[in-house]
Formats: sequence, structure tokens, C-alpha cells
Amino acid sequence: MWLSSVFLKTLRDYRIAILGWGIGMGLVVVSPMASVSALVTTPQARQQLVSLAATFAWNADPVAVDTIGGYATFKIGIFMFLIAIWPLLAGSRMLRGEEDRGSLDVLLSLPRPRLNVAVEKLAAMWTALLVMGVLIGLLAFAGGKKFGGDFGFGDALLFGLNLALICAVFGGLALLISQFTQERGPAAGWTAGLLLVFIVLDMVHRVVANSEWISRLSPIYYYNLSKPLVPSYGVNAGAMVGLLVLAAILGIAGVWLFVRRDVGGTVPLPRWLRLPERQASRALPVGDWSLRSVYARSMGMIAMPTFWWTLGIAGFAGWMVYVVQLMEARLSSLLSSSPAFTALIKNLGGGNAGVNAGFLSAMFFFLPLLLMAFAVTQVSSWSADEQEGRLELVLAAPQARVWVLLGRFAALGTATVAIGVVTLIASAGAAAAAGLNIDGGNLAAATLGMIPLGLLIAAIGYLASGWLRTAADTGLLSFVLAAWFFISFIGPELTLPDATLRLSAFYYYGTPLLHGLQVTSVLGVLAVTAVVLGLGALRFANKDIAA
Amino acid sequence: MAAIIEVENLTKSYGSKRGIADVSFQVQEGEVFGFLGPNGAGKTTTIRTLMALIRAESGTALIAGLDCWKQSLEIKRLVGYIPGEPALDPNLTGGQILEYFAHLRGGVDQAYLKQLIDRFELDTSRKFRQYSTGNKRKVVLIQAFMHRPRLLILDEPTSGLDPLNQQEFDHMVLEARDEGRTVFLSSHVLSEVEKTCTSVGIIRDGTLVRIGDVAEVKAIKRYEITITFANPVPAEVFKTLDGVADVETLDHGHAVRLAMQGSADAVIKAAANYSVVSLTSYEPSLEDIFLRYYEDDVAPVKEVQSVAK
Repeated sequence: MWLSSVFLKTLRDYRIAILGWGIGMGLVVVSPMASVSALVTTPQARQQLVSLAATFAWNADPVAVDTIGGYATFKIGIFMFLIAIWPLLAGSRMLRGEEDRGSLDVLLSLPRPRLNVAVEKLAAMWTALLVMGVLIGLLAFAGGKKFGGDFGFGDALLFGLNLALICAVFGGLALLISQFTQERGPAAGWTAGLLLVFIVLDMVHRVVANSEWISRLSPIYYYNLSKPLVPSYGVNAGAMVGLLVLAAILGIAGVWLFVRRDVGGTVPLPRWLRLPERQASRALPVGDWSLRSVYARSMGMIAMPTFWWTLGIAGFAGWMVYVVQLMEARLSSLLSSSPAFTALIKNLGGGNAGVNAGFLSAMFFFLPLLLMAFAVTQVSSWSADEQEGRLELVLAAPQARVWVLLGRFAALGTATVAIGVVTLIASAGAAAAAGLNIDGGNLAAATLGMIPLGLLIAAIGYLASGWLRTAADTGLLSFVLAAWFFISFIGPELTLPDATLRLSAFYYYGTPLLHGLQVTSVLGVLAVTAVVLGLGALRFANKDIAA
Repeated sequence: MAAIIEVENLTKSYGSKRGIADVSFQVQEGEVFGFLGPNGAGKTTTIRTLMALIRAESGTALIAGLDCWKQSLEIKRLVGYIPGEPALDPNLTGGQILEYFAHLRGGVDQAYLKQLIDRFELDTSRKFRQYSTGNKRKVVLIQAFMHRPRLLILDEPTSGLDPLNQQEFDHMVLEARDEGRTVFLSSHVLSEVEKTCTSVGIIRDGTLVRIGDVAEVKAIKRYEITITFANPVPAEVFKTLDGVADVETLDHGHAVRLAMQGSADAVIKAAANYSVVSLTSYEPSLEDIFLRYYEDDVAPVKEVQSVAK
């Protein structure tokens, strides 16, 4: 049945994403519900939470943040970037991705109008988003029931629908942009850039007075006009209809352009918008440093992702250092009135939660998590290169397999060191700018101490890629990372035995901002990394390379 | 001439799926060896084993006397390779790819590399992903030839090339042969093998079914002779002659079509007893032989042995 039409086949292709993304995003919504019930145990704590949320108004409207639904809605804020990733990838892949692979040529050779194919694919994406929205709504309703939310089943479904609509807007935007790009990657990149711009535009009116007209340019503004999980705030039907119309216009415009252009080509831009014609050449880039070795080439490949991840990680660390003093008074009040929050910060930060250093130390717990996520993306890229045959000619050159693997790993190592160093510089600079007194040695330990953890997860990934295909390898690493995070994040609160806590790599990161570098732990992690990497290299040297 | 490739009882399977079984052959230095077989016959498995990309379960494979797995690094210095389905970094330009592989090989003669680029008229400034199938193939061809390797191992190298560039490729293979280098070439394009190869191996279902000189392989095939006579001649005259496999009467006995295997001497002498208007012989291509080996249900081992006699 699932192969009987383009619509059903496309929906079938989305089945794992529907479940994975729907449930995953549902859990993103539910998890703040769990924390807010612990945060607002006293009237003072409730008041402080409202006050603290006002500090973060740039993130989202702090409406009824002391309620389960209000807090969950507030916390989504900047996570919109995360939620919109799937639709923008799906929209850019829908037609352009199939053109990249050449599979659309075959599909369009069938006696079926091109319009029908495109419309069925678009309908499948909308259906997938709707099902995801329902899943998110169901999980939100379950979370509300569990933690004492005051919204009903219909409200939860409307919440899911609102999310599905904003996602459909970005899916449609990606589809439209992909009609102008030769490949799907740039379409996804441009849409992600616009998503970022729209998030910032939506923020403007919450930060700058009398600037609401600017925020109205962003579709996210209209998404935020409805807060179904806050019954007192309710739904703005006009805004939701507006999102629906916008999603339809973008999607239909994408389809309209698709049926009128060459398959494999792009919509012709006006002459003044076109790039200058490239002159054919037979020259060779003789002096290009990035082509001199496997390591140099790997550095060339990793440079751009490293830049963006550095921006994110160093930016996060620097920003936290900069604002910690500004939040001090409100944070202290919240901590004194919320034992659960105090315990959480103390468990993560490893010290007195009531002081800046304790709070910062807890925030710095997220740095190795981010660095390890970066390492996982790079392991995935290595594994994909082998799986898709891009290593075959490299290994047919007189290069030992072990050195090919180590060259690639060394580039990743260099990137993690660069991220660590830039994060240190950004944090120290932010501390100086904010007049915050932080121990330089501890700051160096906290920023550079994350490097061994990045290398460890990468080494595990390289070893696993000796047996697993890319999707399974990436899935395994993501699971390991999530398991480590939760062991260290909630393990102390659950009074897990020390032996269990030691299973998490975060345990060995410790709380360096307060207690400095744990030399033994760092050396231990590096030793384990070396052994795992050695085993990975041995496996790679002896395995059959994927055809 | 010494053998540059020596393969003995090479066996490789993929779990329960067949790969190759007991494949044995030798390729002499300086020859152009054509490796023929349909999709899934085991050509690529054999080649990837030679290139140490996969490891054989049993048997030996030597190149220039070196073990293909244990001494693969030394072997790769001698070899230029084209995979069956080349995949390269889509974000690099053709020029960057060639420079990268030149560095991985420890440097190549830049003047010769530029000569190859000119020969194939390759635009090196385009990204690999932007190339047409034929241009992608050109990049891969150039990287295989650019270090003037002693041995070229080419897995269906002309797939996607236009006739002009195929001709250029044929010239390059013949030049390599003239310079004393060896070419191991797998192909579906039998006319190409016929044009450039001195020896041929045919693989079917993971087993080598025939190996020999191109001329030798062609000599054992069936061919056809059609003789037209001034007056009708009975078919029985030819039926029992040596070399005749089958006789078909045409044009009310005025002509016969003979399916032949072996010498035509007896047929020519018998026909000379009558008034012959015309005689045509159909020279089969390797294509015919190739098809025959995949259509006939002939035990492969027996055939290999028959050639060895």
C-alpha cells in the first residue's frame, strides 16, 4: 500500500522522522514541565521565577511562566531553531535532493504529470508535520496531566498544530529557495540563515521599545501570538490562519516554479542578480596548502564547521560569563527559595550555588556536551565518506590506512583544541569586560578540559565505524552522549551509586571552574582515548572498505 | 615476459552472498589484459582484492611479486587505479582533486599532468559535483595515469565517456602498452577490449570460465560461412565434413549457411567441386563469444581446462 502513490511513498520515507522528531520535540516541550513543578514550590520561588524570566524576555514572552504550560511555551523560545531543522531539511530535499541523486529523472519519466508529483510530495510533508504536531500535542497533554498543567486536550493539540504550522512555513520556504539553488545544501543553508534572521526579528520588539513593526516581518512573531498551553492567553486564530496561508503560498510557489523549470536546472534569476560567468580553465591549484596531505585536506574540510561551532560554543561561554553578574540578585533570590533548583545547580556546578562561580560552573557543564556533539558530526562525516566510497581512491594511493584514519582524527583534534582555545579567550575577554574576577587557571581548565572529552567520543565513533554504517554509528554516539549527560545531570539527584556516575565521561570533566584541573582524570580520559583510537585504527586497517 | 599479476585460487564471499571462488590467472608484464563479465560476475571483487580494499578469504594475489594485502603500500606506488563507481569529494574542483592525489602520491610530473588535462580538454575549475558523468570520468582517468604507473588497474574505465574521449583513452592504453606498462582492464565494451587487449579473461558467477589471448579466444568460437552456388547443391555434401556444426539450406538449394567451429579446409575443398557464385564468412566479435559464454550452460572449469591444453 505504501508504495502505491508518490504521496504514500514519501510519507513512508518520513516515517522514522515523524516518530523520532515528533517524540523528540514532544520531550523537549515536556522536560521544562518537569522542572517548573520543582522550581515553584513556594510563593517566593514562584515570584522569583517570574522575575528571572523577565530577564530572559528577549528569548520569549514571559507569559504565565509560573504555570506548567506557560513555562513550557516560554522555554521553546530560541529552541525554535532546533524545532525547524527537520522541516527545512525536508523542504530542501523534497525535490532538489532527489534531483541531486538523479532519482527524480526516473520518477518523472513515468506517465504522471510533474505537478502531481510535486503536489503529492508537498502534501506528504504537510501530513508528516501534522502527525508530528499531534504527537507533540499528545505528549504535551500527557506532561500537563502528570505535572499539574491547567490546559486541556484541545489546547495541547492546538499547541502542536501551531508548531506544525510554523514548521510548514519553513519547509515551504526551503522548498521555494531550492528552486533557485543547484544543490539542496545551499537551499537548507539559506533557509537556516533566514530562520536565524526571523528569530532575531521576532526578538527585537521584546528588547527594543516601539519596534513591534519590525517583529511583524517574522513568521515567528505570529507563531508566538498563540499560546494554547496558557488558557488565559489562548489562541490567535487570525495568526494561525495567517501561518497556514503563508505556508500554502510558499509551498505552492515552490511547486509552481518547479513545474516550469528544467529538471536539474534552476529558476533563471534576473541578469543583475546572476553571478559573473565563470571562465573555463585548465590551471592547477599548485600552491593550495589544504591539498598537501590527508591531514591538511581534513583540516580544509573541517574548517567551516569548526568556525560555526566555535562561534556557538565560545559565544555561549562568553555570554554566560558576561551576564552572570547581571543576573546575580534575581538568581540568588530564586536559589534561596527553590531547593530543587539549588540542588541542580550544585550538582552540576560542584560548589555553592549561591555564588556566581557556582552558577557559572554549572553552565560550563554544557561546554563539553556541545564539543562532543561537534565531534559526533565529524565522526558521522568520516563514516559517510567510507560508506559512500569517497575513501576508495585515497586508499588506492600509497597511503597507509592507519595514517589516513589518524590524519583525519588529528584534524578533528586540532579543531577541538582551536574551539577550546577560542572559548578560553572569549570567556576571559567577557570576564574582563564584565569586571568579573575568575581564576585564570580554573578558566583555562574549564575550557581546555573539555578537549579530552571531545576526543574520547570521537575515538569511540571511529572504533564503532569499523563495524557500523553511518546512521547506526551516529545513532550509537548520540545515545552514548545522551546517556552520559543524563547520568551526570540527574544521577546525583537520583543518588545513583558512584560506580554508575563514573560511567559518564562528564564525571571526569568535573567542576574545573571551581576546583581546577583534575590531572589524573584528564590523563585517564586521554589514555582511554588513545586505546580506543588504537583499536579503531587497527580495525580500520584490517576491514573491507565499503564499495 | 614475467607475470606482474599472479592470482591463485582467490576466494572472497560477502557473508552468504557469492563473491569470487577459486579464481586463478596471470597477467604478463607489458600486456593489456581484458577482464570481461556481466554485472555481479565478480570483476570488481577481484579488482578490489588486488587493490587491498577488501581481503580475500583464501588464495593468493601478488603484484610484481608482492602480496596484495601485506605489501599493499609498495604495490600502490606501482599502480594507477580507477574504481568502478568513482566517488570523490564533491566540493573540490577537478584541479584540486588532481593536485591532492598528486601530493598523496608524493608528487607527479606537473608538465605531464597538464598534458593529460589538455588531452582530455578538462575544465579543472569546476567542482566535482558540477561535472557531467563524462567529465567526472575524465578526472578519474587522469589521476590514474598522471604518475605513469607500471600497472594500471581500471574497472570499467570508459563508462560515460563520449566516443572521442573513448578513442583518446584507447590511444593512452596503447601508449602505455608500447612503453612496456601493463594494463588490467575490466569492461563491458567488448569492441574496446578487442581493440586494445592482448589477453582476455571471462568471469561468470564468480568463476573464471576462460582465459587466453584475444586471438586464441576468438579461434575457438563458432563462425558462419555462406556459400552461393550457380546450381542447387545438396546439404548432405557438407553435413559430415570436419568443422561443420550445422548446415542450413537457403534459396531452394542454391546456397548453404554453415555453422563452423575450427578449420574450414574441408568445406572449401568440397565447395570447389561445384560452381561457386560467392562465399562470405562472418567474423564474430568478442561480443558473440561473450554472449555465448553467458547463454550456454557450459561447465566453466572444463572450458578453462580446454584452453589450457
